[in-house]
Amino acid sequence: MSPDLLAVMVRTLGFVALFQAVGTSFFLAVFAPLLEHCADRIRRLARVAAAAGIVLILAHLALEPARLAGAFDGLWDHDLQRLAWQSGSGISQLLQAAGLLVILVAPERAIGARPLWASGGGLIAVGAFLLTGHTSAHALRGLLAPLLALHLLVVAFWFGSLGPLVLVSRIESNARAVAILQRFSRLAGWLVPLILLAGLSMGWILAGSLSVLQRPYGELLLAKLAGFALLMLLAAGNRWRFVPTLLAGGEGLPLRRAIAAEYGLMVAILATTAVLTAFFSPR
Amino acid sequence: MKIAGIAAVVALMALPLIAQAHAHLKQAVPADGSVVQAAPTSFSLSFSEAAHLTALSVQKQGDAQPQKIAPLPADASQEFRIPAPKLGPGVYTLRYRVVAADDNHVSGGMVTFSVAAAAP
Repeated sequence: MSPDLLAVMVRTLGFVALFQAVGTSFFLAVFAPLLEHCADRIRRLARVAAAAGIVLILAHLALEPARLAGAFDGLWDHDLQRLAWQSGSGISQLLQAAGLLVILVAPERAIGARPLWASGGGLIAVGAFLLTGHTSAHALRGLLAPLLALHLLVVAFWFGSLGPLVLVSRIESNARAVAILQRFSRLAGWLVPLILLAGLSMGWILAGSLSVLQRPYGELLLAKLAGFALLMLLAAGNRWRFVPTLLAGGEGLPLRRAIAAEYGLMVAILATTAVLTAFFSPR
Repeated sequence: MKIAGIAAVVALMALPLIAQAHAHLKQAVPADGSVVQAAPTSFSLSFSEAAHLTALSVQKQGDAQPQKIAPLPADASQEFRIPAPKLGPGVYTLRYRVVAADDNHVSGGMVTFSVAAAAP
């Protein structure tokens, strides 16, 4: 296995853990007052994901010298270690880890009725992505940065809410679960299109022309778009078929399976993003 | 979900994970595919943007291991000129890795050249 392949696998898992932790903290910030029985389990999910994310981010940083050397013996090269940890990318990842640390140790004491401390950590973790990569180096970074922030915040909220929604459908009463699911669907209905809008805008600014679609970067972008389209179909199925079934007193298992399918598809999209940002350029 | 995870891993393995991006090699001396009459005393690499040169090695066709070239310049630059080791006649592959100074993305590539045998 090459250092590149291992690094992108670790980075993918790191993305999964980070967006799980951040999104779950956002879910709690929005829905905590509605939760009767599963708030503690959801909070634990955020903390476990945050801890895993910290470990994976540090592992990815530790692998970076090997990537720079093109071989695993680069792990022990002090100059490459210094380059990795002190680079913009290194600082960004350390800040991501710091944001996750805030989620991990955030006090349970709520601000008002909503636990907002952890959400602050989520904002730090997401904000860290703005410090590096193609969007940070572009002449139009003043426009790209808010687009990227919007894209990532909504992705985090959507992805990180799927696990809590499964817990809600399993643990809360039918009526309460349906109320939360319906409220989430209404909120997601407004927010999720922003993922596409922000993503397409960034893609156009970064690539500059449609010729990018003939290159690997564009092909991976198309794969992400296809994944997003599938996700929208799944989400529509949840909203118009499985949630009403739950409302009518039916089984919650089909809904949980559909949410699990959404989760798997989003993991695949995160893996595509890890590859895209590690190896390919829009130009 | 398990199937989606396996599919994601398979898709990853199928992708050509050679860095194809970011700081692109614009020019190399010796040039890729060239035949030089005398062994080069240095390697010149010019990139599309400023980058740190993080790894450089040269491997003769038939040799089991590449020969690492060190030390490398510590500062980022668009152009590098690195003293070459002593090379005999043969076909060589020069492999490099760089990290772009602005977006910190790692990329790499190779240049293949031949050193002609000395005239009798």
